[in-house]
Amino acid sequence: MHHPEEMPERLARFLDARTGRKAVVASYEPMIGGYSRLMARAEVEWADGSRQTLVLRGDPPPGKAMMDTDRAVEWALLSSLSASGAIDMADALHFDESGESLGTRCIVLEFVEGRSLQSLLNDIEPAAGYGHHVFDLVDTMARVHSIEPATVGDSLARPSDWESYIDTLIDRFVVAESGHVESNPFLRYVAGWLRANKPAPLPLRLVHSDFQPANIMVEPTGKHRVIDWELAHIGDPREDIGYYNVYSSSSGPNLLMTDPESFLARYRERTGFGEDAVNLATLGYFSSLAAVTVYSQVLAGAGAMARGLNSGILTTYTLNALSIGHANFMAGCVVPTA
Amino acid sequence: MLTRPTTDQIILDLRRELLDTIDPAVEAAPVKIVIQMMENVLRNCAERAAHEIAWMREESTAMVDYARRVIDTISSTPTIDATLAAHDAGPRESLHLDDVSAVYSLAGHCFSAALEHAVATGHLELHLAARAILDLRLEHENRIKGEWAFVGRA
Repeated sequence: MHHPEEMPERLARFLDARTGRKAVVASYEPMIGGYSRLMARAEVEWADGSRQTLVLRGDPPPGKAMMDTDRAVEWALLSSLSASGAIDMADALHFDESGESLGTRCIVLEFVEGRSLQSLLNDIEPAAGYGHHVFDLVDTMARVHSIEPATVGDSLARPSDWESYIDTLIDRFVVAESGHVESNPFLRYVAGWLRANKPAPLPLRLVHSDFQPANIMVEPTGKHRVIDWELAHIGDPREDIGYYNVYSSSSGPNLLMTDPESFLARYRERTGFGEDAVNLATLGYFSSLAAVTVYSQVLAGAGAMARGLNSGILTTYTLNALSIGHANFMAGCVVPTA
Repeated sequence: MLTRPTTDQIILDLRRELLDTIDPAVEAAPVKIVIQMMENVLRNCAERAAHEIAWMREESTAMVDYARRVIDTISSTPTIDATLAAHDAGPRESLHLDDVSAVYSLAGHCFSAALEHAVATGHLELHLAARAILDLRLEHENRIKGEWAFVGRA
């Protein structure tokens, strides 16, 4: 994938080896929009005359990744989710685990016809309102959070209980700070605040961890398919609500904040979670806590660049996301009163 | 050395060339997105070049003063003592960027240790004073960031 001009031939050989069917790659184009992985779209003509559109999702060259995640873990998760049918997603078809065939570790996925929810929302005049998209988004989020840990088997680590899981999550602020090239008082402060203000627990479920409208493909029928699972883990489902709120506050529109009470009520109705655990206060708490997964990855990329181990525009460009994270941490940590 | 045009002026001029000369000549969508990102990073760099040493010095002073205030008001801890000693041994007189950045980081450790102690003892006034310092840092970060949103994510 690092040399697009070689890819039609390499991909054809790879597909031939994996499927036993002759394929000609009629076109191959890098795709825009993926921040952490290289993405490309390929049009394939099979020997029987059928055509298929594929999406390739591979690792950037060494030292060029803004975050470090494991394609083998992602492939295992995608495979178990595909097999379970628990959520509509782009079907995972093949995996070049060694990277020898496609030039980098790469997952080959089914192409989803349609547009991203972000693209659809961008076309809507805010004054007109976002109509069915609001509850469609809630329902998709609720579907993800209805997936119990057993559904994904051993593909993801399974925390033993909510309390220790939340402690581990909070500790990631401290770990991120201590491993970084410079001090960061925001992280130490927010970790202390989160420890002192834990909310009511919820059952641990599948958490997407980058739940935002650019990662939801909407088919012409309106059906949602969730993509980009590289940061998914078993955790507290409210992480996705908080992350969505944080992300959409900086790259809107924020469908939650158009009417938060009704958004959360719909979410409770769809998941069966109680109001003691899903409310405006826990939204604020998880808006601080949830961003740590992506934040710590971006921070690690910045640290690697400072140490001379990483380069690339995505690393420097996303430094600003860290500042947005700091603002959200502070907003979520309610100022004490006398 | 030549100081005018200043570094931030030069960077902003490069940004103008990028937008006025290079961007119109480019058709590939992925490259156009990289140009948008570069435009943003160049703005960030211009703002940093203009102010970062002054801002780091201002915040460093505030953070170390805060740590000493916590000691005077509540008490010290071994961690606060150790971080203050490390800070005091740092290259505090130098105005070279690398040194100012190093001292800024050391001051941050002093501040974090003192803040944690103040919060743990429930001292509201010192807690609020610490938040004011964090707000100052955030204000500087926001000035560097300027207008920003994820480009090319639709």
